[in-house]
Amino acid sequence: MYTYNKFGSRNSSSSNSNSTKSSTLQSVQSNHRIEKSSGKNTTQVELDYCNNYVHSGIPSTKYIRNVSNPVEGYPKLAKLHQLKRQQIKKHALKPYGYRVSTDRIVPTLNKWIEVYGLKFDVIMIGALIENQFILPILNSIPIYKLCSKPGFLFIWSTTQKIQELTKLLNNDNFNKKFRRSEELIFLPIDRNSPYYPGDYGSGDLESLPLFERQQWHCWMCITGTVRRSTDNHLIHCNVDTDLQIETPTSKKNANAVPEAIYRVAENFSNSNRRLHLIPSKLGYDTPIKLRPGWVIMGPDVLINNFDPVTYNEELYSKSMIKYKQTGTGGQASGGYNNVTTQFLVPQTTEIEDLRPKSPTIPAK
Amino acid sequence: MYTLDKFKKFVSFLLEYDTSLVLSPINGELWVVKALFVEHYRDEKTTIPYLETMSDFLDFLQQFNGISGNSLKFSHDLHNFDFQLPNLNFPKLVWINIGGLLLLQHRFEGGSPFPKLSTNKPKQDLFELLERPKINMKQLYSHEILLERNFGIQPGLLDALIRRPTARTVLSKQRAQVKTKKIPFFTVCNDSNHNHILASVGLNKKEYGQYGDNSFDKQTIPESIVHQRIANSKGMLSEEIYKCSFEKIHFLPIINNHTDLNLGDCSYLDTCHKMKTCRYLHYFTLNPNSKPKGGSEPEEYSEYTIGDCFSESFREILAPQWINCDIRYLPFSILGKFAAIISDPAWDIHMSLPYGTCKDDELLSLPMSELQDEGIIMLWVTGRSIEIGRRALLKWGYRISDEMIWVKLNQLKRTIVTGRTGHWLNHSKEHLLVGLKGNPIWLNRKIDTDVVVSGTRETSRKPDEFYDIVERLVGVHSRKLEIFGRDHNTRPGWLTIGNQLQGVSLCEPEVKRKYESYIQSTNKSN
Ligand SMILES: [Zn+2]
Ligand SMILES: [Zn+2]
Repeated sequence: MYTYNKFGSRNSSSSNSNSTKSSTLQSVQSNHRIEKSSGKNTTQVELDYCNNYVHSGIPSTKYIRNVSNPVEGYPKLAKLHQLKRQQIKKHALKPYGYRVSTDRIVPTLNKWIEVYGLKFDVIMIGALIENQFILPILNSIPIYKLCSKPGFLFIWSTTQKIQELTKLLNNDNFNKKFRRSEELIFLPIDRNSPYYPGDYGSGDLESLPLFERQQWHCWMCITGTVRRSTDNHLIHCNVDTDLQIETPTSKKNANAVPEAIYRVAENFSNSNRRLHLIPSKLGYDTPIKLRPGWVIMGPDVLINNFDPVTYNEELYSKSMIKYKQTGTGGQASGGYNNVTTQFLVPQTTEIEDLRPKSPTIPAK
Repeated sequence: MYTLDKFKKFVSFLLEYDTSLVLSPINGELWVVKALFVEHYRDEKTTIPYLETMSDFLDFLQQFNGISGNSLKFSHDLHNFDFQLPNLNFPKLVWINIGGLLLLQHRFEGGSPFPKLSTNKPKQDLFELLERPKINMKQLYSHEILLERNFGIQPGLLDALIRRPTARTVLSKQRAQVKTKKIPFFTVCNDSNHNHILASVGLNKKEYGQYGDNSFDKQTIPESIVHQRIANSKGMLSEEIYKCSFEKIHFLPIINNHTDLNLGDCSYLDTCHKMKTCRYLHYFTLNPNSKPKGGSEPEEYSEYTIGDCFSESFREILAPQWINCDIRYLPFSILGKFAAIISDPAWDIHMSLPYGTCKDDELLSLPMSELQDEGIIMLWVTGRSIEIGRRALLKWGYRISDEMIWVKLNQLKRTIVTGRTGHWLNHSKEHLLVGLKGNPIWLNRKIDTDVVVSGTRETSRKPDEFYDIVERLVGVHSRKLEIFGRDHNTRPGWLTIGNQLQGVSLCEPEVKRKYESYIQSTNKSN
């Protein structure tokens, strides 16, 4: 009895040469790529970007034709994006920065929660850098108190860190209160991009990646109940896609987080309180640009202008306020009288007409 | 009451002495301040008669504070202070608002209450105000300085060394280039002018409508006819456009009577089922009709590298093999060991089944560990199953080494952004988890990237590029298995198993023999 090895047994290879079915390498590779396209009497040539990459080294993302304008060809969607952007801008609080050393982040957040009763609806954590102290921070921040319900988390990760993060999201702090809902990917346009991830591995062969790495992962988690069919004052679904590609225009102004992902968060959640936590230092190459409507917190934030009291005042003046009776039990968010205050970006009828909706109307 | 003139003198006195009045040795003692003030103007022979007593001086100070916006701060209030009583706690001057005094002096000299901003000064960029990176400042200590001083290693060198591809990577890339047959690659013409002109001469002329307009689908016209029409109209076209028509891919807008150009592109494009009535814009793909240069055959090579098959150069690739079976019951031991596995399970997304059998659980309990001693597995996952997939790989004894994505392109080579393709956000990509088992030194790492861009085909059909990628990674002669494959997945060099295949086809004698004896044993037991 012989064992199989990865090439098969000797016996099988000898029989193979007699087999009439066998084909040569050349014919195999040349045949399978030409696809008969359905209903046409012509053969269509499919572009093989992987094959082209092997021979030219040009990454396939270079050939995607709607990178600079993802909604090209869809005037309705383009209009929706434009209107949403205007509306968000109109109601955005001024850009706030809060400079705080990594070890002071958790105490500061605790103070914000306990003294000022601050909560945020959208919380982004991390940036596009390899070694950020996301795990220890995530482990110790009172995220369920800091995040309103419903609320949305966006957590950045490299491919290497995904498994540790997975473990963490299943621990008690998250306690499965946060459901992993979408896995966003951000792709740098090429190797020269400031966002191009380095794939060091940790030196040993076992952790070496099998493929050249190009992606950044950003997890979107949801807490609380939102329904895409009825909660259109809270969320707008299907406005953006789960894949964002770097636009090659503004290379010099690399930001800690690409604008595209901020926009995905803003377009999705119609709530007005947004926090971005960047727990570690980023260095001079990736400055943190403040963004209207966001409080950005971290050791490398350049402008330090956040004050919880002013923030609250501005929040009331810029948002549409909605009081919502929360369910029984009175636990968590609502406060003593079980009423939650929602700070929303009001929506216009034009936006409502244009936005993609749940199945009542057939999709187009 | 004191005249302004008197306060003027006091202001210049205060500005002259500045903060020294509150510092040692004066320490803001008011009697010293009074004495100093009187002394200061003694030379001018203008004795200061109005400050006879200490009480006068306190009065003077209070009035002064009244007009200077409380520019002077005292240790306690001057109002309620009875200086007649013996008191150790006499008020002291503790702080002087120099800025306030300067403003006051400015007004005494006839200045306007609000300083004018000079208007010609250009506005400063906010970033100018921020501290600049200290590029020119030498740090006293850093790892880089230490390395440079003690070991002569230039800054950035280590980083460059770490980032530099290893010789092995460079060589395997070169080898992959030699061994991979180059497939003709065309670029897409982005000149909308070209596309419109070619469409009007090749597609949308009135006389082309063969059987009346709407019953006839322009999408189905053979490309050769369109090229022929373009060639016939050569005289009307510029040399540039004509030449471009057989060098690049063009997407010609199809204009029918019912097409409404204001609506934009159809979300489904060439896969639209209602092409004859759909008012959105569709396109005809006009591929170049010239043979591209460089589609060469791979070179003949004869070399041996670690991990290769000994007969690499002349060995033929096994014919496609497949077994139609219920994967849950097929004993994996009859299949042997594989270098690579691909699996695209039909994930059961609806977890809340009332009965106990859950497809996810069944998938997790497959005896996958029997199929590989070392090698890679690629598992397609969607949405919720990403998490289950990660768990499954770990359970089967793999480490998750990479997470690949397939960026889905439509007919126009754009990402798919419309059509509610996902629950919260639209989905423009799919995920593929890559698991690694053992320590296979024979893998050709880093030849491809973890992002694969490819067009969509029938629902749930994955790009064939992944087969090529696996073959470059593990070698064409390594045994490869696909689980849950369908007829279109069968491929030379691969064994495909699944319940939607047509019958059984095996050519490896050992697999064949074991499979036959397994079938016989199941027949007997029935
Ligand atoms: Zn052209
Ligand atoms: Zn259509």
